[in-house]
Amino acid sequence: MSSPSLTLESPTPAAARKRRLLEILGALAIAGTYIYLVLNQPADITGGPGSASALIALSGFLAGAVLLIVAVLPTLPVSTLVLIPVALVLNIVLGQFVGSTLVPFYLDAIGTVLIAVLAGPAAGAATGALSSIVWSFFNPTVLPFAAGAALIGCVAGLAARYGLFRRFYLAPVAGFLAGIIGGVVSAPIAAFVFGGTSGLATGAIVSAFRSMGDTLLAAITKQALISDPMDKAIVFTLVAVLVYALPRRTRQQFPFVGRHRVLAGAGQSKGLPAGRTTVRSTVHSTGQDS
Amino acid sequence: MRLHPFTSLTAAGSTAVITTAAASLPLSLTVIAGAAFLAAAGGAGRRMAPAAAGILVPLVLSLFILHGLFFPEGTSVLAQWGPARVTAEGLRFALERTAQLSASVLVLLLCSFTISVPDLVAALSARGVHARFAFVLASTLTLLPAISTRLARIRQAQEARGLVITGGVFRRLAAFRWQAIPLVLSLVEEAGTRAAALEARGFGNSGARTSYREVPDPPLQRRLRPVLLLAAAAAIAVRLWQPTAGA
Amino acid sequence: MAELTTPALAAGIESFTYPGDAAPVLDGVDLSLAAGTLTAVLGGSGSGKSTLGRLLAGWLLPGAGGTLTGFLDLGGTRLRFTGGAADPRINPGSWGRSVGFVPQDAAAALSTVRATVAEELAFGLENAGVERAAMAEAVRRTASQTSLAHLLDKDPATLSGGQLRRLAIGCAVISGPAVLVMDEPFASLDRSGAEDLADLVRNLVKDGTAVVVLSQRADDLLLDADSWLLLTGGTAAMAGTPAEVSAAGVLEAAGVVCPRQTAGSGILPPVCAAPVSGPPALELRHVSFAYEGKRRRAWAPATPEAAAPVLDGLSLSVAAGEIVAVTGSNGAGKSTLLRHLNGLLRPTAGSVLVNGRNIGGQPAGRVSGEVGLLFQQPRDQLFERTVEREVRFGLDRHRRRRLSAALGRPTANDHGVAADRAARQALDAVGLEHLAGRHPAELPASQQRLLALATVLARRPAVLALDEPTVALDGHGLAVLDRVVRQAAAEGTAVVLVTHDHDYARSIAHRLVHLDSGRLQSAG
Repeated sequence: MSSPSLTLESPTPAAARKRRLLEILGALAIAGTYIYLVLNQPADITGGPGSASALIALSGFLAGAVLLIVAVLPTLPVSTLVLIPVALVLNIVLGQFVGSTLVPFYLDAIGTVLIAVLAGPAAGAATGALSSIVWSFFNPTVLPFAAGAALIGCVAGLAARYGLFRRFYLAPVAGFLAGIIGGVVSAPIAAFVFGGTSGLATGAIVSAFRSMGDTLLAAITKQALISDPMDKAIVFTLVAVLVYALPRRTRQQFPFVGRHRVLAGAGQSKGLPAGRTTVRSTVHSTGQDS
Repeated sequence: MRLHPFTSLTAAGSTAVITTAAASLPLSLTVIAGAAFLAAAGGAGRRMAPAAAGILVPLVLSLFILHGLFFPEGTSVLAQWGPARVTAEGLRFALERTAQLSASVLVLLLCSFTISVPDLVAALSARGVHARFAFVLASTLTLLPAISTRLARIRQAQEARGLVITGGVFRRLAAFRWQAIPLVLSLVEEAGTRAAALEARGFGNSGARTSYREVPDPPLQRRLRPVLLLAAAAAIAVRLWQPTAGA
Repeated sequence: MAELTTPALAAGIESFTYPGDAAPVLDGVDLSLAAGTLTAVLGGSGSGKSTLGRLLAGWLLPGAGGTLTGFLDLGGTRLRFTGGAADPRINPGSWGRSVGFVPQDAAAALSTVRATVAEELAFGLENAGVERAAMAEAVRRTASQTSLAHLLDKDPATLSGGQLRRLAIGCAVISGPAVLVMDEPFASLDRSGAEDLADLVRNLVKDGTAVVVLSQRADDLLLDADSWLLLTGGTAAMAGTPAEVSAAGVLEAAGVVCPRQTAGSGILPPVCAAPVSGPPALELRHVSFAYEGKRRRAWAPATPEAAAPVLDGLSLSVAAGEIVAVTGSNGAGKSTLLRHLNGLLRPTAGSVLVNGRNIGGQPAGRVSGEVGLLFQQPRDQLFERTVEREVRFGLDRHRRRRLSAALGRPTANDHGVAADRAARQALDAVGLEHLAGRHPAELPASQQRLLALATVLARRPAVLALDEPTVALDGHGLAVLDRVVRQAAAEGTAVVLVTHDHDYARSIAHRLVHLDSGRLQSAG
C-alpha cells in the first residue's frame, strides 16, 4: 500500500483563481437575471403565459446558486462542511419550532446566518443555496429561492466581517438590511415562477396592493419589503443570542471569528439581550478569561 | 424496473422544465394525472399525499384568492364586491399557474419519495465536488429525524428546571433560549467530533474514491438521460425564441 | 517483543496549550507504546486524558488546535514541534490510517451518510480508493473481529450503545492501524457489554495492535494492562505496572475511581439499616403508565409500537429525609418512573403526591420548585454563559414566590441577596465555587454533572430525584455526590435515585427497591 506523507505541504493556491472565477460567475448570473427580469417585467407578466420569464428566473438564479456551491464547497475545511447539515437541520427545525410558537414569520434562515457569522460570507452563501436545494427534497417550491437564500447568507457573513455582531443592537439592523436585499431579489421569483406567494397570509397582503392597482411584481415586492426585513431582523437577533452563548473554545475553532474579531470581547460578551442583569461582581469574579 | 437515481432525477427535472416551458394547460393536467398514477401504482401515494397537500393547498388557495378577486388587468368582470372583482382573465391565470406549479411539484415530490437516498449518495460520491454535496444531503436527512427526539429531551430537562411554556412574547423568547442553546451547543460539539472522525477516515483526501455500494446503471438508462436533457434544453430554446407561442 | 526498539507510537509532550488559554492543559507527558501492548492512561475528570488521546490520534492537530512543544514519533517518523509557524502540519487522513481513535461519544464518530453498518465500516476505505473486492473482504474480517457480522445490513442509527461503540472501533481498526486509542470505552456499558469489549481489546492486543485506554476508573478489566500511566493536572504523575501504581496509593488522590476490591459485594447488607419514618414527602399511588405509539413523520417510515405498560399499578412512599434507591435492568422503566415524580410524564392511572398535594394537572415547570430532577445528560439542562449565572438562574423568581408566601413582602434587594447566597451555597456544596466564571460547556464531564446538581440544590427542593447520578463522575465527583446526598437527606429532603450500580445503591440508600415488570419489589 502506498503510504502518503504523514504531514501536509503548505497550501498552494493553484485552483484559487478558478474558484474565484466561478464565484464571480455565480454572482453575475444572479445579478444579471435580476436586472433582466426587472427591466422586462411589465410587458410579460400577466399578458401571456409568462413562462419565458419563469424559465429565465429559474435557470438564471439556479445556475448562479449552483455555481456558488461549486465554487465554495470544495474550499471549505471539513470542520465547516460538517456544520452545514447542522445548519440545514436548524433552518428546518428551529424554523418550524419558532414559527409555531413565536410569530407568523418563516424564520427559516437561522442555521444559514449562524454559519455565515462563524465561517464567513462564502460559507454562508453556499449554506443558503444548499439549504434551499436540500429542503426542496421535501418541498420543491423552495428550490427557486436558492439565490435569495444564498444572498442572505452572504450578507450575514459580510455583516459579521465588518463588526455588526460586535454590538448587540446592530444585529437586528443588519438583519433588517439583509431582509430588504433578500426580499427584493426573491420577489421576481414569486412573481414570475409562482404568480403570487405560497402562503395565505402573505397572499392577503399582496391582494391588498393589487386591489390598489399595482402590477404583480410591484405588489409582491412591497409585500416582501413588509415581511422580510422584520423576519431577518428577528433571525439575526436569535443568531446573536446563540453565538454569544457558544463557549470560547468552540468559537475559536473558526478562524474567521478570530481574524475579523466578529464578536465582542475575547471571551466575555457584554450587552446581551437575555433580559438579565449582568453578573453581580460580588461573587468570585476572578475567573476571568484570557 | 429499478431506476438509477440519476435517471429519476433527470426524468423529474426534465418533465418539470418541459411543463413550465410549454405552459399548456392540457399538458400540465396530463403530467399531474401521470404523477398521481405513478405514485399510486408505485405505492408511494400514501406517504406522498400529505406532503403534497401541505404544499399545494395553501399555494392554490393563495393564488385563487389573489388573482380570482384582484386582477386589475382583467376586463371581463364576472362579479364585483367593493374593490374585489372576479374576472375571467384572473381565474384563467390562476388556473394555468396552479396547474403548471402542481405538475412540477408533484413530479419532483414523486422523485424524492421514490428515490433511494443511499443509492443517490453512492452515485454522487464517486465524483469530486459531489462527494461533499452528497455528504450535506445525506447527513441532513440522517440528522433530521433524530432532532425532534433530542428537542423533546431538552424540553423535558428544562421543564425540570422550571420552564413553563406559556405567556407573552418575552417568555417565549426566553423559552427559545432555554431550548435552542443546549440544542445548538450539543450539535456544534458533535459536529466538531464528526469533523475529526471524518478527517481521520480520509474524507478530506482529494484523490480518487471508490464505492462499496453497487448501484446498477443499465446501458438503456445511460442513453436515456442525455435524450431527456436534450428535450428539456430544446423546450427552453423554443420558448425563448417564441416567447408567446403555445396556449 | 521487548527486543523491538522502535515503538509503534511515542510522544514527548513538553506542553500543549489550547488557543487563547493561559495555562497548558498538558505539561510534561512522555509515552512510548510498543506493538502488542495494552496501556491504560488513568486520571480524574479534567486531567487531560482526552486531550492527550486526541493529540496522539491526530484528532487534535498541533497548530490549528493548539500549541504543542515536544515531539510525536509514529513508526519511526519523528515530528518535532516548537509551537512556531514552521512546525510540520499533520495530515489527519494518513495519520488516521496508522492511529485509530474511538471517542467517548461513539455516535458522533459515525459519518451519518451511510445507510448500513457495512457501508459505514467501508467509508474510510472508500475515501482511500480501495477496490470493492478488497473492501468487502476487509468489512467481513472487521465485522467478525468486532462481533458485528449479524448487524451488517442494519441502519447504524438503530444500534444500541454497546453496538455503536463496537462499530466505532470497527471503523477505527478496519485500515489495520498500529495503534488504537479509546476514550472511556467502558463507560455506561453494562457488565456483559463491558466483558465483550474487553475480549475485543485483548484480541486486538494479541494481533499486535498497541492499544491505549483512557479511563477515570481503574476497572478490573484494566488490571491485565502492560502499563498504567497516571495523569494529574496534565502531568504524568506516575507510570508503571498496574501493581506498582496501585500500590503507590496515588490513584484515589488523583480522582481515579477504584472499584471496591471486596470480592462478593453482593452479600453486603444495606449500610444504613435504621429505617427513616415520618410524614411522606413523596407518594405514588397505584401509578400505571404506557407510552403511546409514536407519531408519524412525513419523510420517515412509521414506527408502530405496541403500548405495553411500563408502570403497572406501582406504589411508593418516601419519607422526608429518606434515601430510596431504585434498581432494575436496562429498559425496566427506571427513567420513566423518575419522570413521573415531577409531572414530566403523567400516569395513565393513579396519582403522584408531593407533600400530600396531588401534582396532577400542574405543568412540570411549576412542580420543579418542589421536586428537583437531575438528568443523565447535563448538557441538556445547561444554557447560561457562566457557571454562576447557571446556578443563579431562576432563583429570584422562584424565591420570590416562596418567600412572599411565607413572609409577606420583602424588597427586591432581599431577593437578590438571598438568591446570591443560595447560588453560592450550592456551588460550595459541589465544590465548584472556584469555577464560577467559567463557561459550563467548557467544564469536564464530571464537573458538568456536579453543576447540574448544584442548579437543582440551589432551589432546596423537598424531593430530590437523581437519574444514574454516578455516571461520568470521577473519584472526587463521587465523594461530592455522596456528601451532598447525605446532607440533603439530613436536612429533610426525600431522595429517590435510580441506578444500575448496586454497590453504590447499597452504600448510600436507607431502602432499596427493585423495578421489575412495572412494579416495585423490596430488595433489601
